[in-house]
Amino acid sequence: MTGPKKVLIVPCSGIGKSYGTVSREAAYQVVEDDRPGQTRIVPLALLVMDDEETRQLLKENQAITIDGCKLACATKMVAESGGEVAKDFAVLDVFRRNRDFKPSGIAELNEGGKKLADALAKEIDAEVDNLIQKGGQDA
Amino acid sequence: MPELPQKKVGIIACSGEEIPEGLVSRLAALKVLEKQRPGDTVTICLPLFLAGGEGDRAFAKFYPTIAIDGCEKRCAYRGTEKYSNTPAASIVITDLIKENGLEAPKGLRRLNEAGQQAVDLAAAQIAEQVDKLLGKKWSRKDGQFNEPEPQEEVVATCSCGSGIPIQKLQVNGSEMTLVALPLIFEKFRAENKMPGEDVTREMMEMVKVYNFIKSSQEEELLSAVGKEYERYCEKQEDKA
Repeated sequence: MTGPKKVLIVPCSGIGKSYGTVSREAAYQVVEDDRPGQTRIVPLALLVMDDEETRQLLKENQAITIDGCKLACATKMVAESGGEVAKDFAVLDVFRRNRDFKPSGIAELNEGGKKLADALAKEIDAEVDNLIQKGGQDA
Repeated sequence: MPELPQKKVGIIACSGEEIPEGLVSRLAALKVLEKQRPGDTVTICLPLFLAGGEGDRAFAKFYPTIAIDGCEKRCAYRGTEKYSNTPAASIVITDLIKENGLEAPKGLRRLNEAGQQAVDLAAAQIAEQVDKLLGKKWSRKDGQFNEPEPQEEVVATCSCGSGIPIQKLQVNGSEMTLVALPLIFEKFRAENKMPGEDVTREMMEMVKVYNFIKSSQEEELLSAVGKEYERYCEKQEDKA
């Protein structure tokens, strides 16, 4: 097995519910703040359009998906595009583990939403580290 | 009393997370959905056209739709056209910025001043398009405009993830999907219209507003809808 060059982070692209915003905010925290050199964000819209460059990225790298609702668009789209979902996160599951952080707001998250996004990002960080470490050992 | 979905305009944003223009598209769409035209607009996540069901794919046929794209790839427009129906209008943020001589927006999570200007401008254009589209008569059967008619005020709704209610029926050995049938049943039942041939024929007229029905299918479908409505009413009585 070849270790991942970068771990792709694929968040829900929903704009109708707070959980979609939480998924995006967590993805940005991982990609921009926590693990900037090791991760890259992938927009779902490109997968919907079967973008060749994005498909290639998915072939060469493992992906972590973040779903904002039970319809699990991110996980389904990565799988349908031929990508490997190394780990799928559901915002609702993270909320169940952090019930004090109740999100509201879509354009702008409330404090609970920001804390939930932070908690989710930390779980993703750990998974990124795990994948990078496994990749290093297998290389 | 339950009401069938009123006419609204669907807004679909590309939501492109990799570029600031994607954030502009998202915030402009939200500004219209939440603040400027909350009663007249609904949205759906673009990926649901693939990951969702037939009700989700009926979205752009059911609603005249405005696609808001961050870049020239036009994923929202092309995705909607490919999997649902041709959008009634389109805005591309990069074009809008160029045409209005704005500076390039910066920021993937928080926009700079130029980005905020682009959001305001895009939202104003979307709202203007919403008003134009509401002034025209949209055929949910054909997924295109008919002739102009005045628009009534409606209640705010977000359709993201919920799709259009559909129901599948077995008609002459084949499965047929009917848009809005659950709501039609609900409406007739609430009006105390009990199963019977006259009621079924009246119901079929409403079914035909939302679905394309070939004349050769009509009698068989009439029978199937009548039986299904009987079952629906029995279930409602059991619940009561």
